[in-house]
Amino acid sequence: MFKSKSVLALLMVALFAFITVGCSSEQPASGEQGDSESNELVVYSGRNERFVQALLEKFTEDTGIEVLALHGANPLQIAEEKNNVRADIFISNDLGALGYLDSKGLLQGSNPEGIETIPADFRAEDNAYFAISARARGFIYNKDMITEEEMPKSNEDLFDSKWATVENGFAITRGGNGGMTGHVSALRYQWGDEKTAEWIAAIRANSAGIYQGHGDIRRAVGAGEHSFGLVNNYYFHQQLVEPENNNVGFIYLDQEEDEMGVVANAAGVGLVSGGPNEGNAIAFIEWLLLPENQVAFVGESLELLINSQYGAVYPAEVQPHIVDFSDLKVQDMPIKELGNYFEDTTALIEASGLDLDLK
Amino acid sequence: MNDKNTTQFNHENVKVGEETSPTLLRFFRRKWLGIWQSNPPGMGLFVFGLCIAVIMAIPIVYVIWRSLFAGIDRWQRLLDERIPQLLWNTLSLAGAVTVSTMIIGVSLAWIVIRTDIPGKKAWRWLLAMPLTVPPYVGAVTYIIVFGRSGWARDLWQSTPWLVNALGDYSINIYSFGGVFLVLTMFTYPYVYLIASASLRKMNRNYEEAAYSQGMSTSEVFWKVNLPLLRPAIGAGGILVSLYVLGDFGTIAMLRYVTFTAAIYFQRASFDTASAAVLSLVLILLTVAILWIESKTRRKNKYYQTSNTYRKPLTLKLGKWKPFVLFYVSVVFFVSVILPIGVLVYWSRIGIRMGALDGRFFGFAINSLKVSGFAALLCMLFSMPIIYLKGRYPSLITKVIEKLSYAGYALPGVIVALGFVFIFNNHLPRLYGTFYIVALAFVVRFLPQAMQAGEASLSLISPRIDEAARSLGYPPWKVMLKVILPNMLPGVLAGGALVFVSAIKELPATLMLRPPNFDTLAVRVYFEASESIYHLAAPAALLIVLVSVVPLRYMLKKY
Repeated sequence: MFKSKSVLALLMVALFAFITVGCSSEQPASGEQGDSESNELVVYSGRNERFVQALLEKFTEDTGIEVLALHGANPLQIAEEKNNVRADIFISNDLGALGYLDSKGLLQGSNPEGIETIPADFRAEDNAYFAISARARGFIYNKDMITEEEMPKSNEDLFDSKWATVENGFAITRGGNGGMTGHVSALRYQWGDEKTAEWIAAIRANSAGIYQGHGDIRRAVGAGEHSFGLVNNYYFHQQLVEPENNNVGFIYLDQEEDEMGVVANAAGVGLVSGGPNEGNAIAFIEWLLLPENQVAFVGESLELLINSQYGAVYPAEVQPHIVDFSDLKVQDMPIKELGNYFEDTTALIEASGLDLDLK
Repeated sequence: MNDKNTTQFNHENVKVGEETSPTLLRFFRRKWLGIWQSNPPGMGLFVFGLCIAVIMAIPIVYVIWRSLFAGIDRWQRLLDERIPQLLWNTLSLAGAVTVSTMIIGVSLAWIVIRTDIPGKKAWRWLLAMPLTVPPYVGAVTYIIVFGRSGWARDLWQSTPWLVNALGDYSINIYSFGGVFLVLTMFTYPYVYLIASASLRKMNRNYEEAAYSQGMSTSEVFWKVNLPLLRPAIGAGGILVSLYVLGDFGTIAMLRYVTFTAAIYFQRASFDTASAAVLSLVLILLTVAILWIESKTRRKNKYYQTSNTYRKPLTLKLGKWKPFVLFYVSVVFFVSVILPIGVLVYWSRIGIRMGALDGRFFGFAINSLKVSGFAALLCMLFSMPIIYLKGRYPSLITKVIEKLSYAGYALPGVIVALGFVFIFNNHLPRLYGTFYIVALAFVVRFLPQAMQAGEASLSLISPRIDEAARSLGYPPWKVMLKVILPNMLPGVLAGGALVFVSAIKELPATLMLRPPNFDTLAVRVYFEASESIYHLAAPAALLIVLVSVVPLRYMLKKY
């Protein structure tokens, strides 16, 4: 009896110690709202974790500021938390999402050192958000299964149900994916809503696989699980670096004379309005604008730098396949325009049922 | 003793309500005593219990409330387009898995308990072992083996006669069949354990009576054994079907969309109103299943008398022995050896590549921290509720108890959704801290702690309470000082169960975790969905190892 009593006492002490320790370690984060003296930075990121984590670790190494990261964040989380702002920085692979947040007043302008290195097309007028790296949409295909000549070459081609019958079919991401949202926004700009909705229905019906993200698709296509898949160009670069399953090619869409040009998007950062650690957030942005860190932002993703003169270094397998942004025929919608389409695009995708689909 | 209590109560009320009419007061007091049959609990204990119950029920009530005000448009759109498909996906899967687990579970229980299968004792617990593999971890291993570029394809394609006879490798694990197989293989032990417990208690007399009527063994099984097993099969089936309704990890990894996944994805893109509408439908489905089960059980009542109990006969397998042994081994191989083998294989690769780095241990510590905290809270919270229920039975305690079970029958996704609503809107201080993850675990797993504690409270005589009360202790002090030390083993067992469940929990953690607070379960999900198996496997293996803890408890219980 005495024994079990002391066990119990120990347990209670442990519980209270736990709660107090937990409270005291938790307090500073919420307690120092708006205090730039804190040593923390809260980053929400919608990019693939593997592209962002190393960058954030480098920032901590360089500045000693600890980064609390929430990977896989949706831009709408910033909107939902607007009464209780927790994030300082939002990193996105869709400039449309950043533009949308800015239009809702959820981002705030600043004048960070080095911002002039970013071309005006790729940043908000008050610098509330800006892009660092660009990507273009297209098809990654498995050269063992299909030849370049046999591949579809444009967005328009995907209406044709014959692509459902290529070997093992083709793959797309679910509509909730940031890359897909940006893609659909671009099509709406070009085609209008009705035709775009038909296009969504067509790819939903004809695709053989609907995946969570692009990383799955490149692996699946490389391994021969599908003939081709709709991804961003850097996923092609990534697959080339794989030790196996790397016999893949890439089609930039709509490059012919009378076609719309490739759908482009950009990844960048936004300064969240009223975040808890504003001083550190500005410090992060200025740090990021250093040429060295713009290169690091591309990191493992193997995207194209907007400032290509800073010389992102690509592996030997990838370098010959790099197509400079300036050599592509790019859709004539300014990338910054994407933000105006964001909200209705998600509604359109949701109405088509693609946002939830996985197969 | 009762008098003393009444007077105590009396004084309190007179003090508080001096200005109200004494007649009215007397009326309420009489009512109050009537409810408790003149034995009301102490106020402190009662209020504590009531608060816990309310906390348990709030998230679900809130979700329902939200869904009712989601707007007619949204309801209409979802009812037209989304809900019919989701209903079909969800119900067909739940039905198929429930039926197949019943068949596998009952047949294995029968073989292990009633036949002379070699290695009887070992099989008894070996066949319960899939319980240690969370189904989403099982799904990862099945993808590695049977996926479109898995080991099975390599084997198939390098076997010429197979390719010649059946063509190219064509198993598609990302399908209804795949989800069905995974969920069946990792949930059948629920049925198996409960059915074996029931079979062990079965009385030989009934069978002998049947044999004497000239029935064959199979006739005896269908007409005598099976009806007696009916409650056990039903109880196991309920557990399985509720599990399937609430499962998130398995279906998400195998790309099959049920209500739970749809709610998660809606919420992930922050369409919380639609998520609430889908949740209400899922809640209704859950209630319907519970109702159907209670309905069918009421119609079939079978009694077993214990006074003439004789142990059932062991049946000789004879020429069936190799066949039965093969069947049992196949199930064991597919549900235990295969997944654990795959995890060990990839963990070795991962560890060689440095997977056990600082980040990994950070995730492990996060898991430990949040699960440990949840377990402690559950132990703390379960006590007053069990004590109230055990010592002060009444309508009110029944309601409190039922409310405390609210989270148990509902998927983590819904509990998490309720928490998001409440904390983001009304308690922003706590939103985005690890406390709300732990609290969500408490809502989900408190009943596990309660069940474990209840068993040990039932062994303690109320006389002990009375003795302590007669020395002048108030009820809460009796509970803490006298009862708790005596039922500590049960409470600790409950805590252990909660801890293990919390380590495995996925959807609530995904939805509620603050920045920089990934747990092992979350990592398994992310790494596996990016096909980075060497990082997913060590975390998954650790979860499996921890899950061995409750197996002993489960085996003892059933």
